Amino acid sequence: MPDTGTPSLTRLRLTFATRRTLAHVSVLDLGRIWERSLRRAAVPLRYSQGFNPRPRMQFAAPLPTGCGGEAELLDIWLDEPRTPDEIAAALEGKLPPDLHLRRVEAVVPDAPPLADLLRASHYRLLLRGVEVAPAARAVEALLARTEVLRPRRGRRRDRMYDLRPLILELRAAPAGKPWDVALWMHLRAEVGATGRPDEVLAALGFDDLPRRCTRERLILAAQEGADGR
Amino acid sequence: MDNPITWERIESLLHRVQKPGRYVGGEYNAIHKPWEKTDLHVCLAFPDIYDLGMSNYALMLLYDILNGAEGILAERTYLPAPDMIAEMRRAGLPLYTLESYRPVAAFDLLAMSTAYEQLFLNALELMDLAGLPIRAAERDERHPLVLGGGHGTFNPEPITDFVDAFVIGEAEELILEIAGVMRRTRGLPREAQLRELARLPGLYVPRFYRARYHVDGTIAAVEPTVPEAPATIFKRLVPRLTPTPLRQIVPNVSIIHDRAVVEIQRGCTRGCRFCQAGAVTRPVRERPPEEIAEAVEGLLRETGYEEIALLSLSSADYSRILPLMEALKRRFAERHVSFSLPSLRIESFSVDLADSLSGGRHSGFTFAPEAATDHLRRRINKYISAEQLFTVAEEVFRRGWRTLKLYFMIGLPDETDEDVVAIADLARAVLRLGRRIAGRRVEVRVGVSTFVPKPHTVFQSEPLVEEEAARRRLALLRQQVRGRGLHLGWNDYRATRIEALLARGDRRLNPLVELAWRKGARFDAWDDWSNYDAWDAAIAELGIDLDFYLYRRRSEAERFPWDHLHSGVDRRFLLRELRRSERGELLPDCRHRCYACGIYTHFGKDYGSEEWQCPIPALHR
Repeated sequence: MPDTGTPSLTRLRLTFATRRTLAHVSVLDLGRIWERSLRRAAVPLRYSQGFNPRPRMQFAAPLPTGCGGEAELLDIWLDEPRTPDEIAAALEGKLPPDLHLRRVEAVVPDAPPLADLLRASHYRLLLRGVEVAPAARAVEALLARTEVLRPRRGRRRDRMYDLRPLILELRAAPAGKPWDVALWMHLRAEVGATGRPDEVLAALGFDDLPRRCTRERLILAAQEGADGR
Repeated sequence: MDNPITWERIESLLHRVQKPGRYVGGEYNAIHKPWEKTDLHVCLAFPDIYDLGMSNYALMLLYDILNGAEGILAERTYLPAPDMIAEMRRAGLPLYTLESYRPVAAFDLLAMSTAYEQLFLNALELMDLAGLPIRAAERDERHPLVLGGGHGTFNPEPITDFVDAFVIGEAEELILEIAGVMRRTRGLPREAQLRELARLPGLYVPRFYRARYHVDGTIAAVEPTVPEAPATIFKRLVPRLTPTPLRQIVPNVSIIHDRAVVEIQRGCTRGCRFCQAGAVTRPVRERPPEEIAEAVEGLLRETGYEEIALLSLSSADYSRILPLMEALKRRFAERHVSFSLPSLRIESFSVDLADSLSGGRHSGFTFAPEAATDHLRRRINKYISAEQLFTVAEEVFRRGWRTLKLYFMIGLPDETDEDVVAIADLARAVLRLGRRIAGRRVEVRVGVSTFVPKPHTVFQSEPLVEEEAARRRLALLRQQVRGRGLHLGWNDYRATRIEALLARGDRRLNPLVELAWRKGARFDAWDDWSNYDAWDAAIAELGIDLDFYLYRRRSEAERFPWDHLHSGVDRRFLLRELRRSERGELLPDCRHRCYACGIYTHFGKDYGSEEWQCPIPALHR
């Protein structure tokens, strides 16, 4: 799809952060939170047709329950054009305390869905109850493996998948109090091939440690390459 | 001890529990008043999980009223689910409020909903998780004063050892009076403070009452032991409905009833003889339609909710319901908002209403005929003829619904096996009718619960149905309500028995409540979490006589454990109604003519207002 259209101010891309309390909601919850926030702000959302009209909104990628995000992406569609500044102003004071709007930009209406553009996610996990040296050794051992088989989630639990190719980068570093270790993870995030931070923790044997998980960045394909896969 | 619990301590438990968003607060419209700049700190508690408690309208109202008052801070807490309770106990983390994460024990007042019997043991669990002694006698002025409220307080006798005071009736005004007395008596010993509180009309301080018993175990008297405590405590009521709180808290995680609320009507004039809510919430007060529309406007602006529930005990009885719904639909047509009306009566009119609300979506239609035979419908004063029911059911299927839910009770007074078989016959007949109109995909879902004779109702002197009869009748239904298109749902008789025991109990059941809790009973309303074995063991250990509490018919002269608490409806009226019931006579809706239940006699003079749906009784004209 050629990326030559001009933004019509009816599709806007919101960059936002969720912290603390909002790290503990599901992706469905986050959808409802955004919908109600936008309604409070009287943003003219575009609704679907039918018996149960829903506003048209798309996240780049579901944020796992238990993870906050520093630069999450959401596309919204409007019935009437609004400038990014108008949207930002309307949302002032309408968001729950741990939801922060960082940027609004106009998008060409027929730009590909965010989910198709996503390539990778960067996570930072702070852990308590493990020292840096053993954490680093566990990371090294995991990265040395050629295959890390894990049971699939959901209904097909009996099937296994290989987590190893989904880990692009993984390292352990010391962290400030009250944490002991910071784990940096770059995980693949493409349709049908998405690495999850709790899966990596489990593979490291750290799944029961107190943690704080943050998705720091979403890595998108360069716009012009989006349709060239 | 007043200091908030750190976020890190709470956060460190969250990866181990289901749905952690329940335990962290952070919702839009939650109120964070400064602790140091307020001098009375109230914790509002619902002793079941967040998912249920967040939609409790009474707590929403009190949160709004208390936080609206100068110098008062109100925060919320709920009972965590068992997994989180276990994690908190293991980590030594006491129960905290969702606004400031302060321990519940740091508050001056713990105002807890004791709205129904299944919350009673959870109330003990909540206090214990907060680190408070569960027994009132072991708490003093260093602990929060513990207040109970909700319909359950119309017989709070089984939990009088644990709660310091109960609000009888509506709390909107009384809660501020309680706050006033607490400020005035700050620093006094708990006992002295409670004596001052006992003067407030509608507040029941059980420690200042003593029960005496006859040799046969029935109650001789429940009498005050101090001059401040009145012999009879009349419920409180507000003359007109309190303004709708507009900044209703919008939860971050899904809850059971996830919508904004406007109470359009309180009380009910129908007079169903089994219904406690209808008996204790009289008189009927309606909110004017213009006020409802303004509330909806405000709620959309302040909450962003896409659904608004219009609360009442019987929606179709709101006198201007059709014009109201038409006006709301017209005014909010472009706003993508849906309205829900609970409790529709079995009338074509209800189908019109529901159809106009559905926006073309017809998921399931619910009716509660309660009984399937003519004589029982007369007995309970919820009359509907078979023809009328079929006509309405036909209308439901014609308008496009495919699922009809029908709720019934078993164990009603004078019920026989034939009455129960009639439920199955009725369900099958409705299914046949539905199939004729709407085809093979039609479903009839039958829900049966077991009748519990509740205090302050016409049937308060009736026995609970025996276990053997209840099980036999349920088995009949299970045999006959089966096959394609028919579904049957029912509740466990053991749960009903506990509910009935707590509903009907007296002060001598306090040790049972404590022992059952110590043995692990709690979450009595939950299939997965309840523990009826613990209850049974406690009942056996203490030798509780179930025949005495549940299975005997009481005489007209017997004093009930709750007789010192007055709902405004007189015993005389209830007895007259009981006789009419036995004769199979109906009592019409009292909106058109007064049958002298007592509410107007007791409250009309001081409180009566234009919005009451009470025709003035002859003796007051």
